[in-house]
Amino acid sequence: MILLQSPSRFLLQILHDRLLSQDKGVDIDCQTVEFDDVRYHIQVSMRNPKVLVLSVALPLPPEEAASFDGLPFGAIEAIKAAYGPVVQILDPPKDGFDLTLKINLAKLPSDEEQKNAILLQIASIREVVLGAPLKILLKNLSMKTVGPEAGQPVALVHRPNESFFVVPQADKATVVYPMRFLDSIDIVLATSFLQEFVEARRTAALNNAPACMWSQSPPPELKGAPESALTANAGFVTFVVNPRHVEGKKLDRTVWNLLTFHAYVSYHVKCSEGFMHTRMRRRVDTLIQALDRAKSDAEKLKKMVTGPSFKK
Amino acid sequence: MANTIRLYLTCIRNTLEAAMCLQNFPCQEVERHNKPEVELNTSPGLIMNPVLICRNEAEKCLIETSINSIRISMKVKQADELENILAKKFLRFLSMRAEAFQVLRRKPVQGYDISFLITNYHCEEMHKHKLIDFIVQFMEDIDKEISELKLSVNTRGRLVATEFLKQFI
Repeated sequence: MILLQSPSRFLLQILHDRLLSQDKGVDIDCQTVEFDDVRYHIQVSMRNPKVLVLSVALPLPPEEAASFDGLPFGAIEAIKAAYGPVVQILDPPKDGFDLTLKINLAKLPSDEEQKNAILLQIASIREVVLGAPLKILLKNLSMKTVGPEAGQPVALVHRPNESFFVVPQADKATVVYPMRFLDSIDIVLATSFLQEFVEARRTAALNNAPACMWSQSPPPELKGAPESALTANAGFVTFVVNPRHVEGKKLDRTVWNLLTFHAYVSYHVKCSEGFMHTRMRRRVDTLIQALDRAKSDAEKLKKMVTGPSFKK
Repeated sequence: MANTIRLYLTCIRNTLEAAMCLQNFPCQEVERHNKPEVELNTSPGLIMNPVLICRNEAEKCLIETSINSIRISMKVKQADELENILAKKFLRFLSMRAEAFQVLRRKPVQGYDISFLITNYHCEEMHKHKLIDFIVQFMEDIDKEISELKLSVNTRGRLVATEFLKQFI
């Protein structure tokens, strides 16, 4: 799996299981943690077997990313638009979580395909909630309008205590990511990966993809941003998104890809390190075999003979 | 450029064949102790002149011999930042498994990336020419492994980038 998938497998599995086993009485109370500090807590009690309560915790936003009532800008409207009557927001959210939803399985459409589509949407709650502000900005781009923030960098949350910036304009939106990694090896690997992004964009096949740039120092688009956001040990990546990338069906996919860009790079850096470890272990085995060949046969014979010793 | 690796390795092999004449030598200072003299470096009569074989400024090999032990230290080529951390990671990985390799030294000599310590006991257990084969193959393998790791990182980076950007088309 190269790309990160939008619907959470955990949620999708539980929803499907619940639908299949509606008559069997088993309470569900599960918690899980996903990448970048997103937590889910799902509960079903046999008193209301058709009702699921799903609570979501979001990553801690840094100071510069605005949040209204603990949820990203536009999240509540996005939830109402995506799920309709099937989902109801419970206020206040459960202790320790930022959002609690009541999902009514009885209100799912009877058509199999539509039902699966809504379940997939529910499992993609992360994209709906966290991606809401980005979706609003990109929707404006697709309609070639600008909100009040034209030309100024807008800070959006994608990781705990870190944000990325979107500079909306009438004909394009510039997205800038300050890339930070904790481990020094991660930093070097990520830098080489990010430079590959710039190289890959130059090939003819990807001419229609967003323009991609990498620089060690903050790019000029970030001029209005606060100081704390301008340090990044693996450089700054800039994507230039055109209306062509956000028209119609492409909007959701673009939102998800931009939202999880840092997680995507981080995931592949870790996969790369795992692969290197496997290779190194294999190489060590080969070298030890070569050393074994160097041992004289007499020695090998001595080591193989392990019977009981003589007693005179 | 590609040919110099053969010359470099042949030179190292010839030097090792000449230098690896080890015999058992009990310690002169402490009774009943038997230490690798090349590590102690106490008596000039027991240590031979060290030989330094350089392929270029970045790669070199130091061979220090004594009467009962020989120490071979290597410095590996590290062209850029990525090769630097790959080499460090790989050589640390090997050094931690020095127990399994027997002839590997846990810490490299100051100024080098990896060191071997071969004593007369190893020469008694293993055939001398096969041991030298192993050392030379080890050197070749390190170079090959590091360049393959670098290639795999670059290939993966290109694939990851292409898949991501394809999503927008």
